[in-house]
Amino acid sequence: MKRRFFLPILVVGLFACASLSATGPLDVQPLPAASTVSPSEDRASSPQDFPIPGPLRSFLRMAGISQQIPVAEVLPSLSWNVSALGFQGSDRPTEFLVLLKRYVVQARELSELAGGDGVIRVSNCEEAKPLLRILGYRTLGQCGEQGTSLLTADAERAFLTVDSGFPLTDLEQTLSGGKPFEYPYPSTRVPVLFAENDWTTASSKNHIERSRDLLDTILEDRSMSRLYWAVSKMDPQTAIYLRQNVGIRKLLAYAPLLDFYGTHLCIRNGHVLVPGGSSAERAWEDLAGASPAAPAEFIPRLLLKDKGWLVAYFDVLSIVNSKQQTEFTEPKRLHRFYDALRPPDRSSNAARGVFRPSPWLLLLVSQTHWDQNAQPSVPGSLDVWKEFLKKDSSRAVREREKNYPAKTPEELLEAMFARARKETDTGTLQAYITLVDLDSKRSPAHRLSPETARLMIQKFADYSDQYRVFSEFPELSDASISLFLETAEELAKVPNAVRANALGIMQANIGLWQILARQGQIASADLDDSWQNAVKPFAHIRAASELYDAARNSLSQLSRASIGKTAISQDDLIELLAGPRQTTIEGKRIHREMADRIRSVLNGQRIVSLDTLTVLGDALKSKESGTTPPDYLFNVAGELHEFEMPQPMFTKGEREEWAARIYNNHHTDLQMRSNVGAILKSPKASRSQIEDARGQLTSFLRDTLVALNYAYYEPPGAQALHNNPLFVRSHDFAGETVEGIKSLWQAPQLFGVGYPAGGGAHLVGSLADLPYVLADLEQDFIAPKNTQALIWKELVPSLLTSAVLPRWWNVSSTEMHAVTLYQKAGEELLTASANDEGLRNKVMAILSDRVLPRRSGEVEEAMRAGQVSDIISKMMPADTFYLAAEFERRYPNEEASSGDAGQELARLREHHPEEVSWKRLSQDFGVPHPTLGQTYARELLNVPPLPAFSGYASRLLGESWDSSNLYWARLADETGRSPAELNVLVPELTERMVEKIFATDFEDWPAILRAMREAGDEFRQNKMALLTERPAQ
Amino acid sequence: MRRNFLLFLCVVLTLGSGRSGTMNGQDSSDFRVVVSMVQLNVAVTDKNGNYITGLHPEDFVISEDGIAEKMATFAEGSAPARSVGGAEVPVAQPSEGGSDGTLNSMIAGSEIFVLFDTSNYMYRDFVFAQDAIAEFVRSLGSADKIAFYSYSRDLLRATSLTADRGQVLRGVRSTVAGDSAALYNALLLTVKDAAQTTGRRFVVVFSNGPDSSSVVPPEDVAEMAQSAGVSVYMISTQEAKLEPISTAVFERMTAQTGGKAYFAKSWKDERRAFASIRDDLAHLYNLSYYPKANPNTGWRSITVKLAGEKYGKYKVRTRNGYRLQPTRFSAPRKTSALDTQPAGSN
Repeated sequence: MKRRFFLPILVVGLFACASLSATGPLDVQPLPAASTVSPSEDRASSPQDFPIPGPLRSFLRMAGISQQIPVAEVLPSLSWNVSALGFQGSDRPTEFLVLLKRYVVQARELSELAGGDGVIRVSNCEEAKPLLRILGYRTLGQCGEQGTSLLTADAERAFLTVDSGFPLTDLEQTLSGGKPFEYPYPSTRVPVLFAENDWTTASSKNHIERSRDLLDTILEDRSMSRLYWAVSKMDPQTAIYLRQNVGIRKLLAYAPLLDFYGTHLCIRNGHVLVPGGSSAERAWEDLAGASPAAPAEFIPRLLLKDKGWLVAYFDVLSIVNSKQQTEFTEPKRLHRFYDALRPPDRSSNAARGVFRPSPWLLLLVSQTHWDQNAQPSVPGSLDVWKEFLKKDSSRAVREREKNYPAKTPEELLEAMFARARKETDTGTLQAYITLVDLDSKRSPAHRLSPETARLMIQKFADYSDQYRVFSEFPELSDASISLFLETAEELAKVPNAVRANALGIMQANIGLWQILARQGQIASADLDDSWQNAVKPFAHIRAASELYDAARNSLSQLSRASIGKTAISQDDLIELLAGPRQTTIEGKRIHREMADRIRSVLNGQRIVSLDTLTVLGDALKSKESGTTPPDYLFNVAGELHEFEMPQPMFTKGEREEWAARIYNNHHTDLQMRSNVGAILKSPKASRSQIEDARGQLTSFLRDTLVALNYAYYEPPGAQALHNNPLFVRSHDFAGETVEGIKSLWQAPQLFGVGYPAGGGAHLVGSLADLPYVLADLEQDFIAPKNTQALIWKELVPSLLTSAVLPRWWNVSSTEMHAVTLYQKAGEELLTASANDEGLRNKVMAILSDRVLPRRSGEVEEAMRAGQVSDIISKMMPADTFYLAAEFERRYPNEEASSGDAGQELARLREHHPEEVSWKRLSQDFGVPHPTLGQTYARELLNVPPLPAFSGYASRLLGESWDSSNLYWARLADETGRSPAELNVLVPELTERMVEKIFATDFEDWPAILRAMREAGDEFRQNKMALLTERPAQ
Repeated sequence: MRRNFLLFLCVVLTLGSGRSGTMNGQDSSDFRVVVSMVQLNVAVTDKNGNYITGLHPEDFVISEDGIAEKMATFAEGSAPARSVGGAEVPVAQPSEGGSDGTLNSMIAGSEIFVLFDTSNYMYRDFVFAQDAIAEFVRSLGSADKIAFYSYSRDLLRATSLTADRGQVLRGVRSTVAGDSAALYNALLLTVKDAAQTTGRRFVVVFSNGPDSSSVVPPEDVAEMAQSAGVSVYMISTQEAKLEPISTAVFERMTAQTGGKAYFAKSWKDERRAFASIRDDLAHLYNLSYYPKANPNTGWRSITVKLAGEKYGKYKVRTRNGYRLQPTRFSAPRKTSALDTQPAGSN
């Protein structure tokens, strides 16, 4: 699936773009394997490799590159790091680059010192002197005697020494009279893309200083480093063609564009393979102004047209599946949509910045649905959308739309293309993408009505993150959607003193509904009614006591829908959230463990029990009607005051000075002043006092209900949930602690990070997107296993979310075994392809749906070379899974290709067609795509690895990883675990996997695969102590 | 012959027993708290900061929430702990307690967790700090065990608890400069690791001071350390003294946990600070007691005084309290054995 592997760059990708009519291989020679060389050998090195001075390990440390990276990836990764991290402003080097350059100088000095055999030797203090000078250290104590140690003499050099991992401790031992110091200091040859002088002679920087070698060129020339990275990601045949027919020097001008959009460019048989295939070639020729049959002309024009927007369009259409490609590349559509997309002026540049712009173009193209007449589907009606189009976007777009007033679905889609470059998350385009997707999940008889669509578009900017629940549960009717939005609006009218609790409680109950619905504890037929019953009580709240009643009423409705009775205790609720009731011993054990985890968070947050709040509320209600509460309730009321603030470390004044508006415990302060016990006790309490006391319970009730939501989504390794008792209490639902929050109903934002006087981080906003937000907050508590491990912060929250949100209570052993068999059958197909060209073509055609051209070429070449087992170990589980499933779909009668697993799968399918179906397995073992699919429903989407975008869309990258759960399921199946055990195994294995990630750049997918397999191997070998251990038999 | 004692005799108290009745006839507001033996690291100094040695168990008066407590064990410096006044300290059952929780672990020296700031705040002082830490590691007594951790945005457990100095030194020298600083996140994890061990437990933090990435506040970390009986020592570089927030945290957290804060203006100061910590560890008294019945289920304050007027001029330093961990809803979470495994080095 992913792009970079160990094979030398030039030998791979001979058949990339296989699905797009690949031809035969070019005549290129494989590279020699990477090896270490002594300095004297450097001069004789092959022109296709390059010696990195000093041990590779040290260089990688200094260059910020994973120690686990294949040598073929060293120069591309270096290039990426230099171009992305090495400069600020206009070519001013960052500290990272300054240090790296200094290290290279030091490494060259040490190589010189190491001499011809490449070993640094020191046997006494005298011999150590030149080495210590280079290292920047001096001896402390009488050199040569016991206890001699090293101290910094030259801080600049010493920093390079320790940061690069020079074995100082061993040297100290020698200088203390120990054995002689011997440190191999070899250079390491790493493969070069093309030849060294391709790059050195093309760099304009080298015209000033011609002695610069490739390493210096990459370190000095920002454009060249970016081009090197970009070309190394491309399909190799295409890269070679461009080098020969355009030239590296000319390509320099296109470096940013090739970086962003070069991976799908593919030249075969003298043609650029275009999205839509040969039938679309003419249309692309018209757009680019050159024929795809003339690649040397076509590609530069494609790149430069409209400052990169045409190639951005080309790239997006290359990413989406063949069905979408076919629809979008119908010649007229291709033109008109591009006309809408292209910038009306010259101001917009598609290659500006570190990340690609316009994620919405990708989402629009991938999420558009087509009706039975092959027309874009329109949620609601065209008239509704026209209303909003008029109010939206720039003058230029509005001018344009005078001529194209969106009278047809195609014109509506065209209008959306016109908005795809706009940098917003809440415009009409975003509403369109969300509603199209949401509507497509509903049955034809229950499409969104124009009124509901209008309401949703109208309120999109304030509620878009809440719409995920409607996408996840298409059973929710228009009435349910309207009721929710109207009720939410009503809450804005609630008095300030009550509003935050009202927002929190209603959302907490909705969150509980969502969990119970997802776990199948609310029957499908009852989803709509139960939703409305849970929401309705909040429709007309004006006082705290009304809110208390509404909260109880809403909770009772949830209870009735799930367990058939309206009274629900704290334990009942926890047991429900832990999962459906289990009947097996193993199932019960896992269920108990899940419940304990929820309880553990409630303990950590020092939450008041729901039972306490219920009984106190009932007692106050009775007191209103004259019933004297029993004495024991006075003690029960004492529980409200058991929570104590942490021992203060700051004065009030310090908090105000050092954490203005961050530290706000208004909510907790009010709780501490509550007088429920006194009112209960007082024989003279007035009706309004009693009413007020009942209202006081709402703030505790909010914490309890919100804490249950937090606890359910507890990410593995979480610490804030267990150790900051203010965390849940500090959730700011009403935006009281910050300014500038646009909507309180959108996904919460994290505040207070890195403010020691702020009382800890807390969330501001709604509970929408809570699984991801908690994972994002807690991820930094996962401690990496490797020194300088570069954990991919942009990916980890999605990994954790995908591990925590799915539950496997309703999964059968047959299903889990089918997941194993699909993966194994995919591997069998790869193996069989090695000696069967016809089969190989079919296999590669399927894989090309998920795999980038370069990677596709690597796979095919490995198969040709008979290195199948090696390539299988580096295949993503989702790739082999998809391969087997899709092969069966496309070629149902080709049993001859089936190995043992394939045949077993066929038998299983025959007996359990439902459980083995793609749809079922996708629902149970897929991952949520809250950004890509606007839903937390699980699904296997089968998209290639998506590129990195900035901001909100950075999550797209992580959401395109869907291998973990498939792999963990196979692991569980092969080690005799039950599906129920996945509920506790998956989060723990994912945590272990994250600890092992050692990545270099944002798109270092192989690093994720390595970490996953390492965690899996440890588990298989019983090297991993897990929280969830089976009891001894 | 040395006897093994079970240090952690867990006393399960049911609090709130005065309450009666419930909504269903049972009092659900009762909940359990687990009270272990409380250990205190106590420093006694004169007005010039000189350590006062040679004190006896009867010289100390311990109280918790004003309730006088009876000392169970006593030790000075690295000397073995001994039971006091006929206190019944049960013999360890190997099958239950193993080596953890026995007096053996107390007399085998201290368990010291060094936490080193490798964030970009530390960049300029990085190499000097490494030198100072290396010297500190070399200088500690052979009975002490040391773990070496580093942090920037994440925590790295470079070397797990070991008596092998070479291993620790390699850990120190293997650190690399990182990015943002999440001191309190890292300190929380470190304190939790230290809490897994028994005996005299210390965390020594070497940091530039500022925190840019933590999500937990220092109050929670301090409480965790106090409740686990982990003394925290913090050495800051000069900038932290100029940075009032870090200065406040360093001074207060160390005071609350019975440790000390140092603000080093130069690398020589850093070395002196480490020397002072080493000296402090060598002169601490280690006292323990089993709390008497106490209805307080929240924060419990601890006071240690010296008995008799002749000691009035001396200063006593120890942690000032601890918080019971509520278990209203369930038993505490298990801890995975992998949580404290060392990181590999590259």
